[in-house]
Amino acid sequence: MSAAELFPTQEIGSLARPLWQLQGQRGARLTPAARAEFEQWNRRLEFADPDDPRVRAFLDGGSTSTPTGLVRDWGAQFAIRFLETAGLTRVYDGEARRVEMYEHAVRQMGGFQLLGHVRSFDNKYYLKGAVTGEVRLEHPYDLEEFGFVQAHTHAVPKLPVTGPYTIVDWSFNEYYLKRQAAWMGRDARQRARREFVVDVARKAIRPTLAAMIERGCRVIQVDEPAAGTHPQEADLVVEGFNAATEGLDAEFAMHICFSDYRSLFPALLEAKRCRQWAWEFANRDTEDHDAYAMLALLREFGDTRQVGLGVLDVHRDVIETPETVQDRIERASRVLGDPARIWVNPDCGLRTRSLEVAYQKLRNMVEGARRARTARSGPGSGPR
Amino acid sequence: MEVHTSLTGPFPRSEALVRATRDLDRGRTDEAAVDRLYRSTGDELLGIEDRFQLAPQTGGYLTWADLFRPFAMNWSGFEVGPVTRWFETNTFYRQPILHAPPERVAGSLAPWFPAARASVPAHRAKAALPGPFTFAGMLDNRSGETPEALVHRLGRLLAGEVGELRGLGYRTFQFQEPLLVTRPPVGPAAESTIAAYRSIAEAAGDATSLVWTYFGDAQPALPLLGRLPVSAVGVDLAETEPTSLGRFPPGRGLGFGCLDPRTTLVEDPQEAAARVTAAVDLARPTEVWLGPGGPLDLLPWDAAVRKLAALPATRALLAPNGGSA
Repeated sequence: MSAAELFPTQEIGSLARPLWQLQGQRGARLTPAARAEFEQWNRRLEFADPDDPRVRAFLDGGSTSTPTGLVRDWGAQFAIRFLETAGLTRVYDGEARRVEMYEHAVRQMGGFQLLGHVRSFDNKYYLKGAVTGEVRLEHPYDLEEFGFVQAHTHAVPKLPVTGPYTIVDWSFNEYYLKRQAAWMGRDARQRARREFVVDVARKAIRPTLAAMIERGCRVIQVDEPAAGTHPQEADLVVEGFNAATEGLDAEFAMHICFSDYRSLFPALLEAKRCRQWAWEFANRDTEDHDAYAMLALLREFGDTRQVGLGVLDVHRDVIETPETVQDRIERASRVLGDPARIWVNPDCGLRTRSLEVAYQKLRNMVEGARRARTARSGPGSGPR
Repeated sequence: MEVHTSLTGPFPRSEALVRATRDLDRGRTDEAAVDRLYRSTGDELLGIEDRFQLAPQTGGYLTWADLFRPFAMNWSGFEVGPVTRWFETNTFYRQPILHAPPERVAGSLAPWFPAARASVPAHRAKAALPGPFTFAGMLDNRSGETPEALVHRLGRLLAGEVGELRGLGYRTFQFQEPLLVTRPPVGPAAESTIAAYRSIAEAAGDATSLVWTYFGDAQPALPLLGRLPVSAVGVDLAETEPTSLGRFPPGRGLGFGCLDPRTTLVEDPQEAAARVTAAVDLARPTEVWLGPGGPLDLLPWDAAVRKLAALPATRALLAPNGGSA
């Protein structure tokens, strides 16, 4: 479908990496399960030519000689086809080449040292680093990754980029804190955080976005899952976003999740170049709690931007039915009063779900969006 | 004045445990293997606690997914709910959903506490539990009980746990109460919190009971904290100005969070001791507890261990005679 129709769909970011990719990247011989996984998904998605001698060699146990870069390419092609076949309007590569959104970003920048794993929740962790020197960037990053997606998708590519505030909030601040006269006070911590955010935005992210746009990237999602962590710093989230996008022309979105969105207003209104809020809702939508009622706050503040509507809970294996998705879209439409502003997406990246669960969820999401569109009896005006 | 040093609650999982629990989720290992690693890592941490003279010991509460999970899984009335942000951190908990007035299930929680999880006898271990105010405030209450009644009820239920754990030999109980300082209760909410702690105090008897606050400036809550019938109240020195503690009533115990779990920079014992001394000179506490300003599980394992050295060093500056100042 085209984005000019109601309720276009998009992903938010990461997908789980297939077993064959993980084993292939390690240079390990593929296990029978990994081989079967490759073959089964390839029958469904046709992401690799089964007659390609390199594919045959890979599957026949010769993965130790398959270059890691080629395995990553197949991983990216797999994810692109996975999302396209699920029927999404906008796709990327499931972040197939990225270790994890934070670690990937700070590995591209100078000044960081990765220290060890910190638990996010349950048995989910991320590798956390400290900034031990001034943030710097040798070269814009992810250009090849974007180029590959651009060359291999029939859909519109949407680039996910970890935002400056999230990078700062997820890092231990040593360098900028130690530059303060005394580091144990609250005021010193705040000054140090601001310097850190602005440096990441200006010295690392903006040059990267500028290079991406020069190569034809038109849709960019700045991921700020940490935005709601310290509501009193909402202005710093915006300052980082504005510094990272200053003078750039693209369709920018800001992804925030698991946050009290109300606490970020009115500060978020100042993110002038942001055209879409892509937010999580489904995780907190229950029989006796309508999570989409929260959208009323946009009306309260007169904010008319697009909304990337989270309709899939990425932390549970329960597959949302098309009816559930449709119901969520319709409730959001009623609150917003303008269905044309709605894009439909998962709450967040589906990386924590198995591929099969993620695929079924996405298929149902696309079907639910289609039903919601049909129920509106014909195409309305497209998203602005 | 006695000076004690002890951990505040959950410690980070080691890198080996991180790998093992990930593998468990991915079906690459089994629960028995991960359980063995939990125990050996808990024992390793006991060794570290010994090395840094931290007592009573904790074993790190490594199996707890979050502060409320054992309760939400084992008490009646609860459902383990959605992933929800844990205060102003990049960590999350599954918010318990309370569908009906909760009830204890006797014997269900003891396996979660240190003596059951690591090689430490109960009398040398610290039982760390959610405080009733934080517990009530952080769950999704659909039970029909008012917030005040819920705090009161949770106090009675936690008192039941204290009684049961005392029977198993535990002598020190710490209640985690970040919400008391990030959103201090007033009026009926404050009174119900005090009533909840009265229930707990009755159950605790002559055991040591601590309320530990963190993530917020304790100053606005000091009048309430001073009324809680517990052995000592802990405050986070990264958030609370030591000089504000002059408002804390004299003749009570005080705890000081000297290590900031939100930074990998290692605290200077001289500076930490100076901040504690400034507060002690004003508040004249009967006993002093030194610990992290909140659970250290916001740090990677190695960084957390590095910071621990500041605790005995600070204690040595405050109490050169080895425990008594």
